[in-house]
Amino acid sequence: MDTPTQTVLCIEDDRFIGEMYVRALNQAGYKVDWVLSGNDGLAAAKSKPYDYILLDLMLPEKKGNDVINELRGEKNLIPDTKVLILTNFDEDDASRNALQEKVEAYLIKADITPRKLLEIIKEL
Amino acid sequence: MAIKSSVKSQQLQLIGLFLLIQIVIGAILYLVTALATQHMSNNDALLVVALSFIGLESIGAFIVATVAARPMQKVADALLYAYSDMPIDKNSTVVELIRRLHAEKNPEKTVSAEFEFAHALLDNLPLGIVVLNQKREIIYTNKAAPTHGGGKELNINFSESDSLNLWLDDVVGKNISASKWWKRMRQVNIESEESRQFFDLLALYHQDGVESIETVLVSVDRTEEYSTDEDDLDFTALAAHELRGPITVIKGYLDVLRQELILTDDQLAFFERLDVSADRLTTYINNILNVSRYDRRHLQVRLKEETLSKIYGSVGDDLELRARTHHRMLNVTFPEDLPTVAADRGSLSEVIVNLVDNAIKYSSEGGLVVISARAEENFVEVSVQDNGIGIPGALLSHIFDKFYRSHRSRENTVGTGLGLYITKAIVESHGGTISVRSDEGHGTVFSFTIPTYASVADKLANSDNSNESIIEKKEKKYIKNHSMYRG
Repeated sequence: MDTPTQTVLCIEDDRFIGEMYVRALNQAGYKVDWVLSGNDGLAAAKSKPYDYILLDLMLPEKKGNDVINELRGEKNLIPDTKVLILTNFDEDDASRNALQEKVEAYLIKADITPRKLLEIIKEL
Repeated sequence: MAIKSSVKSQQLQLIGLFLLIQIVIGAILYLVTALATQHMSNNDALLVVALSFIGLESIGAFIVATVAARPMQKVADALLYAYSDMPIDKNSTVVELIRRLHAEKNPEKTVSAEFEFAHALLDNLPLGIVVLNQKREIIYTNKAAPTHGGGKELNINFSESDSLNLWLDDVVGKNISASKWWKRMRQVNIESEESRQFFDLLALYHQDGVESIETVLVSVDRTEEYSTDEDDLDFTALAAHELRGPITVIKGYLDVLRQELILTDDQLAFFERLDVSADRLTTYINNILNVSRYDRRHLQVRLKEETLSKIYGSVGDDLELRARTHHRMLNVTFPEDLPTVAADRGSLSEVIVNLVDNAIKYSSEGGLVVISARAEENFVEVSVQDNGIGIPGALLSHIFDKFYRSHRSRENTVGTGLGLYITKAIVESHGGTISVRSDEGHGTVFSFTIPTYASVADKLANSDNSNESIIEKKEKKYIKNHSMYRG
């Protein structure tokens, strides 16, 4: 039985890293939309339901923290989506804990490879 | 009684005033009568004198009544003052009398002029003063005191392992007086990160102190000094972010290339060396970040129920690769029935990475690194053993020092000297201990313990999974630096 293609929104401003994830996800059979800024990411996330969102924190225009706060603030606008924060920035504990409450995974990009990312997505 | 004599003097004053007014009226009537009888008929003169008499007596009565009613007004004011906070003429004798009377009946509510002076003085001090009674309730705070919740709670972020309450638990009943400093304490409630203040806090305890003053806290605002360190921390975090970006790309594309290219054995080995080097860089950056947080009391671990195999699994491949590229063998044996532990997976995996990486670095070509674990009462003990160069006995006690690098490592092995320092800090922040045994020329064993989940589950459930309650539970002698958490 065919399972429908899963969709991923990748919000990542580093082109090298973005391309790397998009390529690995495409090869693994996911359909990926890739945007480069927080505002575009927010608009995309609101426009259609994704299975997964990969969210960077240090983004131009609107930071990842603000994106997630708008998507999962008082009202959860994306209840069926799994959000993975992928960052290289070391948040202080309080902000990090607050963020972790709102997302399904919080990962340091430098600690993982695209292959590991795929494993983690499958485990979620 | 003062109030009675005051009333008597008031009576005498009124009688005096009355007599004075009568004399004045008598004199005026005498003049009016003299003038009227000269210029008018007797009947008319009589009428004028009678009318003058009535008019003057009325004015006199009005003056006497006004003066007589004044104390009543003052009594009303004083009562209002005594039972409310209305600012009224506090120097009035009657107010003072009422105040004293009130104070006699309500000794605990005495508001003396001395108190008001002291209060003003304390409010103008640049030091925060908070006074606690025997029930540890705040009974006084001055203006600079770090409190919130309407002055009912301290706005200081104590770690649960080193809180004011724990300290009081320790000293009350055992000491007549005691004191303690807490350095670099942060506020709990802040409007924004920029407005966060930092304090050094001194607690002075004295058993059965006067006026139910049992504990006095003095806070010194050190925001200016400590926030510079915070800026340094921000800088470290930003620098780490910048360094991690390229590492992500290098590691990621190496991974992609390795899967897509058909490589000779040699080429594959080179790829693996690149991988390992990128991983090492990541480890160094993580160590630098952790040390920077630890030294500024920001290091905090989130403890959850974990299995050791899962924690090891998150870094096992990387370590296997590191061992292989250095021609070492890893032998990992965890008993299947090992209990679960209370651990922060990310932090504890860094501990394992640091210890295994050291074992790889300092063991001999073709050597074996054995990673094993066993349950011991409420702890799981993990050991990392190598058959390498060993550490001379005299140096063992320095091995966990910051920037310490072993005698051989300076010559031929890379490293920052931060690895074991932060390893110890992380283990202790889990409520565990770390130790080392070494036989020079034969090898070294590092062992650390972590509490089993079962032994701390209750504590964790009550404390939002922070490590602090666990540390509190542990015997104090283990915890050399238990106040390191976010202040």
